[in-house]
Amino acid sequence: MKIPKDRIRFNVGGRIFETTSTTLANAGRNSFFGALFDDNWALKQSINDSNPNSEFYIDRNPDCFGVLLDLLRTGDLHIPSHVPERLLHREASFYGLLNHVRSAKWGSFDGNRLHHSRSVTGRAPGDGTAIRAGPDGGCCVAHGSMVHVYDWMMEEHPPINLDYQRVNDVAWLDSENVILSACERLGRGDGGMGLFSKSTGELRYKFQVCHENQLKSYTAGALSTSSDYRIFSSCKGRSNEYGIGVWDQISGKQIDFFYESPGWSLGDADKLQWLNGSNCLLVATLFPRKDNCYISMLDFREKRMVWSWSDIDAPITVDEKRVRDAIAMEDCNAVCVVNEYEDLGFIDLRMSGGSVRWSSRSRLMKGKMPDEPCYPKLALHEGLLFSSMDDCISVFCGPDWVLTSRFRQLYGGSICDFSIGGDRLFALHSEENVFDIWETPPPPIL
Amino acid sequence: MSNQKKRNFQIEAFKHRVVVDPKYADKTWKILEHAIHEIYNHNASGLSFEELYRNAYNMVLHKFGEKLYSGLVSTMTSHLKEISKSIEAAQGDSFLEELNRKWNDHNKALQMIRDILMYMDRTYIPSTHKTPVHELGLNLWRDNIIHSSKIQTRLLNTLLELVHRERTGEVIDRGLMRNIIKMLMDLGSLVYQEDFEKPFLEVSAEFYKVESQEFIECCDCGEYLKKAEKRLNEEIERVTHYLDAKSEVKITNVVEKEMIANHMLSLVHMENSGLVNMLLDDKYEDLGRMYNLFRRVPNGLLTIREVMTSHLRETGKQLVTDPERLKDPVEFVQRLLDEKDKYDSIISLAFSNDKTFQNALNSSFEYFINLNARSPEFISLFVDDKLRKGLKGVSEEDVEVILDKVMMLFRYLQEKDVFEKYYKQHLAKRLLSGKTVSDDAERSLIVKLKTECGYQFTSKLEGMFTDMKTSQDTMQGFYASHPELGDGPTLVVQVLTTGSWPTQPNVTCNLPAEMSALCEKFRSYYLGTHTGRRLSWQTNMGTADVKATFGKGQKHELNVSTFQMCVLMLFNNADRLSYKEIEQATEIPASDLKRCLQSMACVKGKNVLRKEPMSKDIGEEDAFFVNDKFTSKFYKVKIGTVVAQKESEPEKQETRQRVEEDRKPQIEAAIVRIMKSRRVLDHNNIIAEVTKQLQSRFLANPTEIKKRIESLIERDFLERDTIDRKLYRYLA
Repeated sequence: MKIPKDRIRFNVGGRIFETTSTTLANAGRNSFFGALFDDNWALKQSINDSNPNSEFYIDRNPDCFGVLLDLLRTGDLHIPSHVPERLLHREASFYGLLNHVRSAKWGSFDGNRLHHSRSVTGRAPGDGTAIRAGPDGGCCVAHGSMVHVYDWMMEEHPPINLDYQRVNDVAWLDSENVILSACERLGRGDGGMGLFSKSTGELRYKFQVCHENQLKSYTAGALSTSSDYRIFSSCKGRSNEYGIGVWDQISGKQIDFFYESPGWSLGDADKLQWLNGSNCLLVATLFPRKDNCYISMLDFREKRMVWSWSDIDAPITVDEKRVRDAIAMEDCNAVCVVNEYEDLGFIDLRMSGGSVRWSSRSRLMKGKMPDEPCYPKLALHEGLLFSSMDDCISVFCGPDWVLTSRFRQLYGGSICDFSIGGDRLFALHSEENVFDIWETPPPPIL
Repeated sequence: MSNQKKRNFQIEAFKHRVVVDPKYADKTWKILEHAIHEIYNHNASGLSFEELYRNAYNMVLHKFGEKLYSGLVSTMTSHLKEISKSIEAAQGDSFLEELNRKWNDHNKALQMIRDILMYMDRTYIPSTHKTPVHELGLNLWRDNIIHSSKIQTRLLNTLLELVHRERTGEVIDRGLMRNIIKMLMDLGSLVYQEDFEKPFLEVSAEFYKVESQEFIECCDCGEYLKKAEKRLNEEIERVTHYLDAKSEVKITNVVEKEMIANHMLSLVHMENSGLVNMLLDDKYEDLGRMYNLFRRVPNGLLTIREVMTSHLRETGKQLVTDPERLKDPVEFVQRLLDEKDKYDSIISLAFSNDKTFQNALNSSFEYFINLNARSPEFISLFVDDKLRKGLKGVSEEDVEVILDKVMMLFRYLQEKDVFEKYYKQHLAKRLLSGKTVSDDAERSLIVKLKTECGYQFTSKLEGMFTDMKTSQDTMQGFYASHPELGDGPTLVVQVLTTGSWPTQPNVTCNLPAEMSALCEKFRSYYLGTHTGRRLSWQTNMGTADVKATFGKGQKHELNVSTFQMCVLMLFNNADRLSYKEIEQATEIPASDLKRCLQSMACVKGKNVLRKEPMSKDIGEEDAFFVNDKFTSKFYKVKIGTVVAQKESEPEKQETRQRVEEDRKPQIEAAIVRIMKSRRVLDHNNIIAEVTKQLQSRFLANPTEIKKRIESLIERDFLERDTIDRKLYRYLA
């Protein structure tokens, strides 16, 4: 047997490593190793000439190099106990291998195989408002008037705020940019909506609302983005600017405004959801923000409300079930709603004015309410329906939405919000300001 | 106090600020700056990648990212300024080569610099929203080289000059051209568009404007089109060789506009070589080229189509209205077919079977065929001619082809019922005289007519065929039941159903005794087998074979009409007969008798009778003899009756009248059908609907429709609305 031609020797911080250029090719062109080789992954002439037949010296930590070299060899990340995670991330960043580490750290999302990865303790006073998962595994948490931003390594970045006004919602535009919506302060023109850099926390753009060619100050509520680069927010202004504002993600300019009609609430909406299939926006204004619940579908091309539902005329039942969260499920032509007892209900999207079909099967919580309940929340991800209640998150699957998994982390009290993104699920607890990260383990070896 | 002094200690900062050697950043940058110099001076082999990468990493880590980045910008800028000078200094043709060489160097250097500064590129640049290294290198190249005042216009002029030289036939270095254009594209599509494409298109437009003017003055249309096509292909080829693929549409638009769109009308109407001449001379290649080029410009095909249509209508009109042509119907139809063939092949060979052209062709034919009211008659005569004799020795497929063509002409006819009338007459003659060549061809045509116009149209024609078949069986039955008739004259009777056949005036004559006896026997046989029927003899339509012996004993078999047979039989008992005597004996109507005598006495070669006095016409005082001197090469002599093949003027009027009469019930039926379903309808809509319903048979005349409506009102089928006089109501 011959010695492989592509063998290469490294001296990293005094320790010798031997590997092959094909192993290093897994690092990709855009990495330290990529720069060492030409397009055919042969060692570049200039490097080879300077030090023929001997090792290539790198002034870095050998332990971490070993871990990263194994990552390139196997695709698996195994961090020995004596190697601090932060140090490893640092080294990976030097070599340009951070993305490799991130994608090896946890597997692609499967709602029925989630494992608790870690809990991060916040330091904000008061209840959490919202938690939002970022596209690359990071998250941001809104508490009162501050938003704390974490990257996927759970390194905390400078917190963001909009004039220290009460934050209503947060949304990720991409892995680098976050939008924040806040309350307006009377007579000061503060609040509204701002675009922030995730890494530096600086305000990069403030979105404006125009009414009859005049700039208006406003309170921005729920946020949503669409795949055709638009941003939607529920807005409440000084005078008539109640409704849904639409902005362009590229230019930042306001491009549309859907004014609410009398007797129907849009500007107070709790939840906006962009529906790709039907090109419509779901707007849900829910109890107790208003006395009644309003759910509407807006078509901005026709400037028309194409579907609506409200419980205004619904008879008040004995147990007074009120819709507390709603989510549109385009595949089943239905809107799923949940009440404070975690009963799931479904409303047909194909006709307006239908009634809620409550699903009796999911009544699991009946009669044992926690002391300090949080309202349940819903999320939809790759055909799975998630619902939070108390300190649990339940997963429902299939056409009949049967309960398939349920997971909980006891510390921190009820879950007040949760969010799925970047192949992770984040759950924010109302007490102790702690949030949990749930991940799917990497795929099995065989 | 001492206590106080003791307490007077300094409060140290909780955490010492880590002080990095202030010169550290400068030193590190010096190393990196030196490396960048070395890279640009092609001395990179002496550099340690690891050291440089580590140094750049450290600078970013220790918050000197800004210094590193701005240092990079200024170092690269100063190098590019030097490069710019050396490119400016290049003389003549070496300018592009020098630019290309330096561009390649810069790209290599940029790749190495980007490798060294990778850490900055990955971490510092995104968080500060600065331009990444590679893009920065391209932008600096653009600003310092391409947009430098001494290079920008020179580069553009050089490129345009090269293109011009290539257009005028010189060979240029396409590889170099491609590299330079690629560079402009790499610098961003905006650079390519502003610094090259836009001026390139303007210059090209000017070039082709001048050139097309030259061509149009000295070339004929075909030649011009050839040149335009060549230019178009050259430009497309140029794009594939060294321009951005997106430029193809733009430059071809320029050529199309300057060379074709702007000269479209003068090309089409060019004296002696324009579109009409191409059509006349069947210049498929030129026509195809014109089609392909004109297709590329707005209204191009429309122009061709309009010229073709007007030319076709003009020539068609001449064809159908030229009195010379009307003399021979077969020739007339053949010319129409030839014209159709000609344009069919033009459309299929040159106009790629374009549907819109086919439609134009069809509408043109429909237009001019109906200009001549006799077209239906002529088409039927053409078929008659073909089915009588024209198809002998022609294969079955060819027969189908001819019939299909006839059907195609038939489709253009507006008065299909007139055609039907004539066709029925002609078919009757063919069947009765046994002249039809191919039964299959006859039936095939009827099937075609049936698919085209429906069952109703052909049911009577089919009835005629059935009659022929039944008659054969009847005759067999008749002779089987009368075996004693074997020796006498043979009678062949065709029993025709009234209604199926064209109505003929019932002309009777006195048959010779032998024949009338035989006829009586047949009548009693037929009425014996079929009760409730009436037989009447159509002696004017029959034929007879007569054996005759002439003066010197020459024997002949004469094939004559029934009338002629009656006359000839008289000469068995007489040598001389006067006209009056013949008329009295036979009771044949005068006009028919004259014609039948004329054909036997006045036609050379067929004159079995001799007339006194000798003249062309038959007079009432003439006397007739058997012509003892009659000779013929043939044993069988066919003596035709002098018949006008084409209809005479009064006959034509009669046919016309009959057609009009037949239309009346059809129009009425249509009105009633429509009103029955609509109940109430205004005048204009009725006219429109009736016309639409009857379209497949004939073009109904609005005045006639109005008359029919009035007639229906009189007969209480309809009434006028009492308030709105334009409305009609259906009365159930």
